[in-house]
Amino acid sequence: MQHAFRQLAVPAGAGAGAEPRTEAGATPRPLLDDPRWYERAVFYELLPRGFYDSNDDGVGDIPGIIEKLGYLEWLGIDCIWLLPFYPSPLKDGGYDVADFYGVAPDCGTVDDVVRLVEEAHRRGIRVIADLVLNHTSDQHPWFQESRSSRDNPKADWYVWSDTDQRWSDVRIIFCDVERSNWTYDPVRQQYYWHRFYHHQPDLNYENPEVREAILSVVRFWLDRGLDGFRLDAVPYLYQYDGALGENLPETHAFLRRLRREVDRDYPNRVLLAEANQWPVDVVDYFGDGDECHMCFHFPLMPRMFMAVRREQRFPITEILAQTPEIPEGAQWGIFLRNHDELTLEMVTDEERDYMYAEYARDPRMRRNLGIARRLAPLVDNDRRVAELLHALLLSLPGSPVLYYGDELLMGDNIYLGDRDGVRTPMQWTPDRNGGFSRADFAQLVLPPLMDPVYGYQSVNVEAEMRDPSSFLHWLQRMLAVRRQHPIFATGGLEVLPADNPSVLAYVRSGRGGIEGPERSVLCVCNLSRFAQSAQISLARWQGAVPVELIGRAEFPPVGEEPYHVMLGPHGFYWLDLEDWGQP
Amino acid sequence: MTVELEALGALACSYLERQPWYQETVSAARAASGAARSGGASGPAAGARGGDGSAIEVELGEVIRPGRPGLARFVLALGELRFQLLVGWRPAASAAEALRGGESALLGPCTDDDGPVLAYDALADDDLVLALLTHVTGGAERAERVRRMPTLASHHSLVFDERLFMKCYRVLERGPRPEVDMVLKLDEAGFNALPAPVAHWRAGGYDLALVREFLPGALEGRLLAMTSLRDLLAHAQAAGSAAGEPEAPAPGSAAAEAEAEADTEVAAAGGDLASEMRRLGATTASLHLALAQCFGEEPAGRSSFARALRREGVDPEATLEKAGRLEEGTAGSLVRLHGDYHLRRVMRSEAGWLVVGFGDDPLYGASDAGSSMGHRRGSPLEDLADMSFSLRSAAREALGQRSPAEMATASRLAQAWWRRNSGALVEGYLAVEGAARLLPSDPGARETLLAAFESARELRYEATPAEA
Repeated sequence: MQHAFRQLAVPAGAGAGAEPRTEAGATPRPLLDDPRWYERAVFYELLPRGFYDSNDDGVGDIPGIIEKLGYLEWLGIDCIWLLPFYPSPLKDGGYDVADFYGVAPDCGTVDDVVRLVEEAHRRGIRVIADLVLNHTSDQHPWFQESRSSRDNPKADWYVWSDTDQRWSDVRIIFCDVERSNWTYDPVRQQYYWHRFYHHQPDLNYENPEVREAILSVVRFWLDRGLDGFRLDAVPYLYQYDGALGENLPETHAFLRRLRREVDRDYPNRVLLAEANQWPVDVVDYFGDGDECHMCFHFPLMPRMFMAVRREQRFPITEILAQTPEIPEGAQWGIFLRNHDELTLEMVTDEERDYMYAEYARDPRMRRNLGIARRLAPLVDNDRRVAELLHALLLSLPGSPVLYYGDELLMGDNIYLGDRDGVRTPMQWTPDRNGGFSRADFAQLVLPPLMDPVYGYQSVNVEAEMRDPSSFLHWLQRMLAVRRQHPIFATGGLEVLPADNPSVLAYVRSGRGGIEGPERSVLCVCNLSRFAQSAQISLARWQGAVPVELIGRAEFPPVGEEPYHVMLGPHGFYWLDLEDWGQP
Repeated sequence: MTVELEALGALACSYLERQPWYQETVSAARAASGAARSGGASGPAAGARGGDGSAIEVELGEVIRPGRPGLARFVLALGELRFQLLVGWRPAASAAEALRGGESALLGPCTDDDGPVLAYDALADDDLVLALLTHVTGGAERAERVRRMPTLASHHSLVFDERLFMKCYRVLERGPRPEVDMVLKLDEAGFNALPAPVAHWRAGGYDLALVREFLPGALEGRLLAMTSLRDLLAHAQAAGSAAGEPEAPAPGSAAAEAEAEADTEVAAAGGDLASEMRRLGATTASLHLALAQCFGEEPAGRSSFARALRREGVDPEATLEKAGRLEEGTAGSLVRLHGDYHLRRVMRSEAGWLVVGFGDDPLYGASDAGSSMGHRRGSPLEDLADMSFSLRSAAREALGQRSPAEMATASRLAQAWWRRNSGALVEGYLAVEGAARLLPSDPGARETLLAAFESARELRYEATPAEA
């Protein structure tokens, strides 16, 4: 078995390596008994099949992730989000689950998952996994039984109809490839309902047996130590006449029940909802703090990209202004990229056209209503833009979710079908297969990138670990800074007026810790590729001496006049206003 | 019971007389009336005396806040002109502190019930300005901090806690002031693309102050336009240097091709402004629909366009001929206009575009005032032409910052930028339900008239460049 990572040359003091920190003399990171850990966590989304292959069969696996935990600990993430590892025909990246209680043989075993959780916990890292509530694969035994006749015990576990005209107003999400939300089943001779692909029949949540079955799945995995779930496609659980099949009260009632049971029996777990809707609708999934702990903030992401392209702040400030307050203990999940496409479902048609025009002139890059690209190609591999976007990600309200490989500024492969373009193997070394696997190239789950710009020969963990000025090191340091300042996790947000549209300024403030003093951190970003200056209204902090958070350099004190800042191209500052009021 | 008002009034008159803004206002008024009398006897006599030698008189003095510091308001008259002066007083020692050495604000010594005090321009004293806010809002609003914005001859601009904005007028007008009138009526009609009015101070037939919300994050449209142009023209720099020598102006179809190429490039630029301009067009349409609702609407026609063009000093014949049929029913409407509608009068906020600068119409009252309508009406095309001209000026200004080497490419791009954005403005306007009826229905006529008004604006701008 290879331990490629252990062989890396690591700059002195980086504390890197497969070994836990204790061996380097640092204190271990105990897993605190903290029911609200997710508010301060940095998540790392990874694809088990694409991360590291421990058994040379060409497919990444759970034991492979265990081998790379040292790297993740060094990077400084707090929680791994595992993309689906369940047995599946893999027609939708594993979101077509054929058995909720198993692990796909090429990924490992249930015992491997248990071991992963234990090993991660030893390193202060938690693990959550995808859970698909809305549907199963058509290969799932439940569906096979349900379709076999109209009167079998699971006949009502899915949504069947004699007509495909029912609920015809409900929008079709994968409108590129699906023409209807109904598909005819020749065995049962009826139509079944599916909001996503036709091979993913929707479960019938009207049926109490289905609800119990899903809750059993939840208990099974929490009993095995998982720290929670990323709940896939939650808005679509219910549908009935006269409704558009999204965000229905019954769906919320089910989520409240799920939360109640989790809170009662499993402390310190998290439910993270994927509800790809406008913020005003998404907040409903927090309930009154009694539904999901976290929800993804989808529209913020394309807005960040748009603001950089337009070189002005309004795309971001507009969506922040439209984001409602969330209940105590709730937290947004924010991200730059994920395994899906740059989500454009919720930008206006005009802005969607704009995003297409800017980022996806090549039609092959378009997938459904989004764009299947990784971060680096999306910003033309501009390191300064990547840094600026991460500075936003780490300082705007919400827990950041990183996507594996983006810490290297990895590229994508638009010639792969579906969403596989952004799922190519993690690039560990410049060696064969990018150090991902020792299997024959032809055997690999997906070909690693080999192009001159993003290929593993030039972009890989080993090279970036050796290079102290690499993006990887930069991000590792930024994560460390963020960890020292919980104000970024839990502080309030106030956008400050700046007289230059290319400059975005905001203050995160509040009590960073539970008992900590009132703190304010001023974040200033230059969204333009040219140097800019701006006057920022800081009247309330008059007398404060801003201190730059990373290098602790003092800035001129805040006076009566608006505060004057100068920023380099795509530059940003995080300024501590801590000394406010002190001599 | 309190200060000696009469003595204070005398101090107020001589203080007013010393103020440059007052002298400017008086000479401007005199020049206007002199022009009206076509070379009347009034020469450039200096000072506060009226053309007929009259002196400033106190029309009204009133204590707003007795005690120390105290506050009084005065309406001072010189001939037809009326001025507001707010006067405060304190004991000498605390006055020095309150004015922080601002001796130019001093009126002079005076006495109140408790003895000698110093009188001064009350707007220089934070405590009194805060007291004024409470007074003007009838106690509804209190603030902790005031910031003074650059002052114009006609009014003071005060910002309270970065939350409220007060315009306190210095030169008063009889009857409803157009700004106050428009803002209050538009707000009442539900037009919310303006900073919401909070309070309105009116007494003795004069509008004295207007308080509205202050939106610190909002930025002038001009800044967005310049940001967009910066992005585009820097792009031209890169493209130009890559392409080597700028091409010579191409004749005929090649020119059209180059134009189309520039259009494509502008549309693809990262800093494209067209979506913002479409939104601004929609806001403009809602503004005109609300103005029609508040101040009336009548059909436009050939003669109204002829009159409007003539007023701008343009011979309307050629334009009207080119515009073709403009009968009532197809020529759109006449409504009250904003009248000074350019990129500095629109603000982009988190909630979209806001319109400000109501009542700044330089033509308001110039020719139609006193007519039966009581205010100027015109085709909404005039406001659109203002904005379109403003876009063109922004493009020129940005072009002026580029080097001669890149001028050929840059000016083609700047031209395409203006075409795209001014087109988007009209497009956004017409997309608003009910707005199409306000404009001439024939696209050709619309374009011809828009271009004519725009070049008229240009002439006016060249005549008085200070307007921008």
